[in-house]
Amino acid sequence: MAAPLTLLLIVAVTIRAVLFRSSLAELISARVEVVSPLNAWKRVVEGLALLDLGVSPYSGDVFHETPLMIYLFHFTVDYAEIVFIIADGITALALYLSIQTYNKDVFRKQKYALESDRYSADCLELLRSPKEMFYIPLKVAMFYLLNPFTILSCVAKSTCGLNNAIIALFIFCTLKGSALLSGILLALATYQSIYPLTLFAPALLFFLQRLYIPVNLRRSSFWFFTLQYAFMYVGSLVVITGLSFFLLGSWDFIPSVYGFIFSVPDLTPNIGLFWYFFAEMFEHFRLFFSCVFQINVFFYTIPLSIKLKEHPVFLIFMQIAIISIFKSYPTVGDVALYMAFLPAWSHLYRFLRNIFLVSCVLLACSALFPVLWHLWIYAGSANSNFYYAITLLFNFGQILLVADYFYAYLRREHHLTHGLYLKKKDGTEATLVLK
Amino acid sequence: MNYCNLITIFAFINLLVSIPHGYSNYVETKAGQFFSSGHTNNWAVLVCTSRFWFNYRHVANTLSVYRSVKRLGIPDSHIVLMLADDMACNYRNPKPATVFSHKNMELNVYGDDVEVDYRGYEVTVENFLRVLTGRLPPSTPRSKRLLSDDRSNILIYLTGHGGNGFLKFQDSEEISNMELADAFEQMWQKRRYNELLFIIDTCQGASMYERFYSPNLMALASSQVGEDSLSHQPDLGIGVHLMDKYTFYLLEFLEEVHPASQANMNDLFKVCPQSQCVSTPGHRTDLFQRDPGSVLITDFFGSVRKVEITKDTINLTSPVEPPIKRSGSSDIQIESLTYVDQLPVAEIIHQKPKQKDWHPPDGFILGLWTLILLVFFQTYGIKHLKHIF
Repeated sequence: MAAPLTLLLIVAVTIRAVLFRSSLAELISARVEVVSPLNAWKRVVEGLALLDLGVSPYSGDVFHETPLMIYLFHFTVDYAEIVFIIADGITALALYLSIQTYNKDVFRKQKYALESDRYSADCLELLRSPKEMFYIPLKVAMFYLLNPFTILSCVAKSTCGLNNAIIALFIFCTLKGSALLSGILLALATYQSIYPLTLFAPALLFFLQRLYIPVNLRRSSFWFFTLQYAFMYVGSLVVITGLSFFLLGSWDFIPSVYGFIFSVPDLTPNIGLFWYFFAEMFEHFRLFFSCVFQINVFFYTIPLSIKLKEHPVFLIFMQIAIISIFKSYPTVGDVALYMAFLPAWSHLYRFLRNIFLVSCVLLACSALFPVLWHLWIYAGSANSNFYYAITLLFNFGQILLVADYFYAYLRREHHLTHGLYLKKKDGTEATLVLK
Repeated sequence: MNYCNLITIFAFINLLVSIPHGYSNYVETKAGQFFSSGHTNNWAVLVCTSRFWFNYRHVANTLSVYRSVKRLGIPDSHIVLMLADDMACNYRNPKPATVFSHKNMELNVYGDDVEVDYRGYEVTVENFLRVLTGRLPPSTPRSKRLLSDDRSNILIYLTGHGGNGFLKFQDSEEISNMELADAFEQMWQKRRYNELLFIIDTCQGASMYERFYSPNLMALASSQVGEDSLSHQPDLGIGVHLMDKYTFYLLEFLEEVHPASQANMNDLFKVCPQSQCVSTPGHRTDLFQRDPGSVLITDFFGSVRKVEITKDTINLTSPVEPPIKRSGSSDIQIESLTYVDQLPVAEIIHQKPKQKDWHPPDGFILGLWTLILLVFFQTYGIKHLKHIF
């Protein structure tokens, strides 16, 4: 598989290089769907310029990147394009290898389940064969690299690409089984934007599953490993934060980065749900609603972990999707990351119910975003409600996609254990409902 | 006898030689006085800020000062006359084309060679401040500009309705005493005047000069804070008050002044005492460098050219007389005036070195890479080292 992967990488690099050199690069860098106040390249340059002038880059509410980003870009600001192309390549490679490992794992588990007769008799067509799973890693890498969202995000030089790279590496290290590296990379991802904190649960569940530790709150082995992993994670987070303090010598970055993510002061329109609400909200409700909105991101972890504790990788997919829908400043780069996983669930195709609706909604909304933006800002014949309607619809489409896959996954699991053709007690055909 | 004759002739020749020498000595001593006032040209800015027929007296005030100033030698090109309303051609004027300052129509201050530079609605606070500071658009004609330099003595006369700290322009806007003080400071920094005499005839006029802080300003006002300036006489034929009391007596005083008169500022301070003016005129001289007693009226109101014709060469080796120190304050050291350093030439010549770029601290880099190496070896084990090396 090395040759097709290399070819894919070359094609992806070529597309990005061509777009970098064209006049579209500046156009794309300015689009609000692709860059947000958190990860715009313009702001990185501004922060570095402030630093050269001897002023803290966090003064003036312009720069919201973490100090390690400052460190990285201080040396590579002239080669930024190469950095972002390499980041995309690393993400694709990490996803490729992790899905490869995952497939091996899936196949192994399926073999054990078959041998132990856990599957019912008539669900043979639901079983997965290595033949059909052969091209999945390549498809995953392709879905990531050739996704227009990813290309746009890379050409705009949005640091979302770097965040995606770190999360992809984290997934890779988790699936490879290295708890230390996984903890460190998760700490790095959390340090970048706080939301990957929710990925702690699926990673923990994966390791527990891998080490055959039952997920039972009363067992000491569970707590022992949890504490180990948590210690590695929290420890690396503390070390990284301390290092950031030493870089600039002040704790300025904490209110500027994390305070900014949580309190959402900047209401630039983006593809998320926060800006419109907070634009029209009265001041003394702001705290309450920002708490509500932020809890919404973290809230789904616990019920999903309980339901999907046997399937941590699918849980990772769900979590990433939920983060990119409900985070305070989403961009299309975040959407591209979880879309890359979709080929891994291609066997769920027969159970998906809303393919047409979801694909139409997502395509139409992606096309309408620039149109309504132009109508609102430049032509003046629309207003923010139009743009927000499309944002809502886009997020609705994403939620429907995620919910659909969730339903399909659970349904397949159910069919595997209970048989494909379900019958009600009186013999008529039953339908499976997600409640 | 021969010896006697020689001595007489010698003395006579000495006398002959010394007379022009003595005369040139006289001129040399007088030459010191040539430079005592320090100005070479005179300007006047005369502003009337009120409109409407019943404010006739303010226009008459301004025109009478204009008349005196022109009579004493300042040409129209050096006078900026701002009248907010036209009284001479006002439809309510029973004697059109005239503006009288005395009852019984004794003195027509309008005449037939009045040159009004800013008229009617052009008299605004903005235009007034622009004239003072020189910040006019390039299309402004010369007659509307105050083209003074650092050797100009400027007379500024304001009249209208005012209050504590403000002067009303055209019944719609005000200029505050702070704005005026700042405008004068701008003029000082731009070296637009040598000395400035500020006269104001409004109610509570003294409040307008309270905030001055630039050097070489002398100010007179017709009334103190809390007092109203009163008008002088109504004319029953015209139907309005013709002049304000202060300017009326000022005009009377100025009519006695001629270009060669030696009347000084102390006489001007005595114009219109309380018995005549009901309000108490005030003046301010603490910012002025010279003693007011040595300042001639014609230094401000006239344009007296200092010309002395002589056929002899004069040696100006003796230093110019310094200005007469104020009596009573000789123990206070008056520091010499310096102009503000507008261009920091020293800094421009010696360019500052280019700022060094920020660099991450070495400790940070060390710590970061140590950690990365530690993690690397922890993950992959030391035993792999031998494969690398």
